[in-house]
Amino acid sequence: MKHSQLKEIIKKKASKTEFAIVTNLGNGLSEIYEPGKSLSKEFELHKDQINNFFKLKKNGVIEKTEIFVETYIRPIKVIIIGAVHIAQYLVDFAKSLNFEISIIDPRGYFASEQRFPDMKIINKWPGEAFKEIETNENSALIALTHDPKIDDPALQHALKKKFYYIGALGSKKTHANRCERLKVAGFSDTQIQSIHGPIGIKLGGRSAPEIALSIIAQLVSETYKK
Amino acid sequence: MKNSFDEKILEEAHDWVKANQKVVLATVIQTWGSSPRQVGSRMIVNEKGDFSGSISGGCVESAVVRECIGLIKDNKPYKKIEFKVSNESAWEVGLACGGEIAVYLEQII
Repeated sequence: MKHSQLKEIIKKKASKTEFAIVTNLGNGLSEIYEPGKSLSKEFELHKDQINNFFKLKKNGVIEKTEIFVETYIRPIKVIIIGAVHIAQYLVDFAKSLNFEISIIDPRGYFASEQRFPDMKIINKWPGEAFKEIETNENSALIALTHDPKIDDPALQHALKKKFYYIGALGSKKTHANRCERLKVAGFSDTQIQSIHGPIGIKLGGRSAPEIALSIIAQLVSETYKK
Repeated sequence: MKNSFDEKILEEAHDWVKANQKVVLATVIQTWGSSPRQVGSRMIVNEKGDFSGSISGGCVESAVVRECIGLIKDNKPYKKIEFKVSNESAWEVGLACGGEIAVYLEQII
């Protein structure tokens, strides 16, 4: 692979573009594939199969050829509500697991750059903040403030947009109250039950990194269930 | 659903090249039976034998490092290698899990 191509791949990954690398294992040539973009002759012959791999988000050698396809997909968007201590550890875990994190917290003293270096923090109320983030059923929400003023509007947004994972921090009692408020707001029992509350798998730990681990473990597990 | 559980090996390869190292990229291109790493898993190796990433659970990494150094020495652009379990060498190089993998090596040029 040429160094110039490697640089182009890294640039595409950073800009969250979906693409594939196609390599002819017989002669060592490789190219970047994007839907709609034309390829050189030798790869163009197999365009339909390449596109199939791309659609299925699959890696592998196309049958009866020497063409290897490796697809790159967008990382899953995870929105954290609350720039709290647990969020700092979640950011660390998310980095190695390659989730794309955004943090929303209207409280400026929490959402400081010093606490979250190189992190996208939206210092606005959820209603405003969600206008800046495109979300869909492949997005996830982790609500950590357990302050209804901040968490509730975010939870409502996530439910309406059918996020595949919604988790909310808080005790059983806090969560029961939260469910009650969502019911009053018009959400169905099925919708409300889809929220993971209290959040996380049962690990037994109480420290911030342990809670972050239990949350991220649940998130990964739910990702593969879907 | 899948996330792009990307291990950032290509980014590291870029850093190594920038630091004037010769780098070979090793990619799992096919697997048969039970193999620890999936297709697309990557590892990089430089001329000194430093490596990062993985293409198995530690079973064939040492052999891949040797192959990569050989590729740099012979100044070859690419090579395909396969690993199977064979009784004589299974404990040294090979997949103890009983799987087979094909690995594609390519120099960053």
